[in-house]
Amino acid sequence: MIIDFNLMYESLPYLFRGALVSLSIAALGCLIGFIGGTIFALLQTNAVRVVRMLVSSFTAIVRGTPMLIQITFMFILLPTIGIYIPAFWVAVIAIGINSTAYVSNVIRAGILSVARGQIEAAYTLGLTRLQTIRYIVLPQAVRTVLPSLGNEFVTLIKDSSLASVIGVYELTKEGSFIISRHLNSISIYIVIAGIYLLMTIPLTLAINYLEKRMHRHVSH
Amino acid sequence: MLVINNLSKKIGAKIILSKVSLQVPRGHIALLLGSSGAGKSTLLRILNGLESYDTGSLMLDGKPLDVRSVHKTHTIGMVFQHFNLFEHMTVLQNCTLALEKVLGKSKQEAESIAYTLFTHYGLADKANQYPAQLSGGQKQRLALIRTLAMQPSVICLDEPTSALDPVLKRQVATNIKQLAHEGLIVLVASHDIGLVEQLPCTIYLMEDAAIVEVADSSDFANNPKKYPRIESFIAGSKYISE
Repeated sequence: MIIDFNLMYESLPYLFRGALVSLSIAALGCLIGFIGGTIFALLQTNAVRVVRMLVSSFTAIVRGTPMLIQITFMFILLPTIGIYIPAFWVAVIAIGINSTAYVSNVIRAGILSVARGQIEAAYTLGLTRLQTIRYIVLPQAVRTVLPSLGNEFVTLIKDSSLASVIGVYELTKEGSFIISRHLNSISIYIVIAGIYLLMTIPLTLAINYLEKRMHRHVSH
Repeated sequence: MLVINNLSKKIGAKIILSKVSLQVPRGHIALLLGSSGAGKSTLLRILNGLESYDTGSLMLDGKPLDVRSVHKTHTIGMVFQHFNLFEHMTVLQNCTLALEKVLGKSKQEAESIAYTLFTHYGLADKANQYPAQLSGGQKQRLALIRTLAMQPSVICLDEPTSALDPVLKRQVATNIKQLAHEGLIVLVASHDIGLVEQLPCTIYLMEDAAIVEVADSSDFANNPKKYPRIESFIAGSKYISE
């Protein structure tokens, strides 16, 4: 029989353990991406030209190269410069840096979508530049780009499978390990796909709910 | 008193303001009348530090006025044509944000100031609503309240009656008169000729970046022929609106 329900059931604890690792990589990568992306977006919209050019170059390089290459590159590079950290953290950092490049572009678009008039109003009321960013620009920018940020997190959950290439036992790697022992790939891949869906669908629904909630009082 | 002396601004070869001079004592209203592109809004934006100028000088109550730092002293307030309300904040938060973050008032103090103004301008029942839920007139009042809460000496209103119906326009005129009555220096930029009849003010007619005629509103009402350019502008505006 191609589909072995017993194997599927028995594999669940191992796969859920891997799913937890996948979720951790995605969550930490997303956190790095959100913080880094916000800082880079602010630099792109406020800093001097040289800094803007450096940030643009960074995003172009990261977005123009595959994440698989970035993860393996980081895995090889870090020890050569004397940084020895577990593969899990190499994956988190690589995915976080990759996410930074994408999120910075998303948040930059959100910042630019905030009406210039509101920034001028904040200025005439005496708010400092930082206060204007903190209280006027970022809350509205994040609200505007929330669906895109949610999609980015969903993408990261799926992309976390790339951490398997450097030996991180996340969901896909755990699955591959079971497949290599039982030689029943279909059954295991069905469970893996199901677990990925279990992680991404509720997240998508939560983002949709949050988006509706945040847009309640804003006219378009 | 606000004194603007020979204020000029150019962008490339285009003259934006040409030697604009005016004096507005406390408790008085200056109505900058003129069609779009005459330089009225630019003058208000310069006063609020939103735009720079090339030459000229500004003084407030006998002291030089540095428009680059005017926002730090909140001596000049601005009510924008499109209100520029903070859409993600409630009516109350729109009003208390600067009171708390700029003036350092406590939440209670800021809300107390806001509610005093809300009650005065009939917005108390809207405090927890969002700008998108307000009518045009209510938005206008909120923009005014937000500015007044900072207790400026000078208040600039850019096209305050545009997009308002005649009843609301009269209400805005009443509010503007009250501001002057309270001792503020009021500058109104508008192409709404209705304000000429409703406001006791000094009319400054602006054309092609310069003030071309000045008249006291009561004097103009009694003897319009004495001010041919203002009379012509009003006649032209009436002809267009009819």
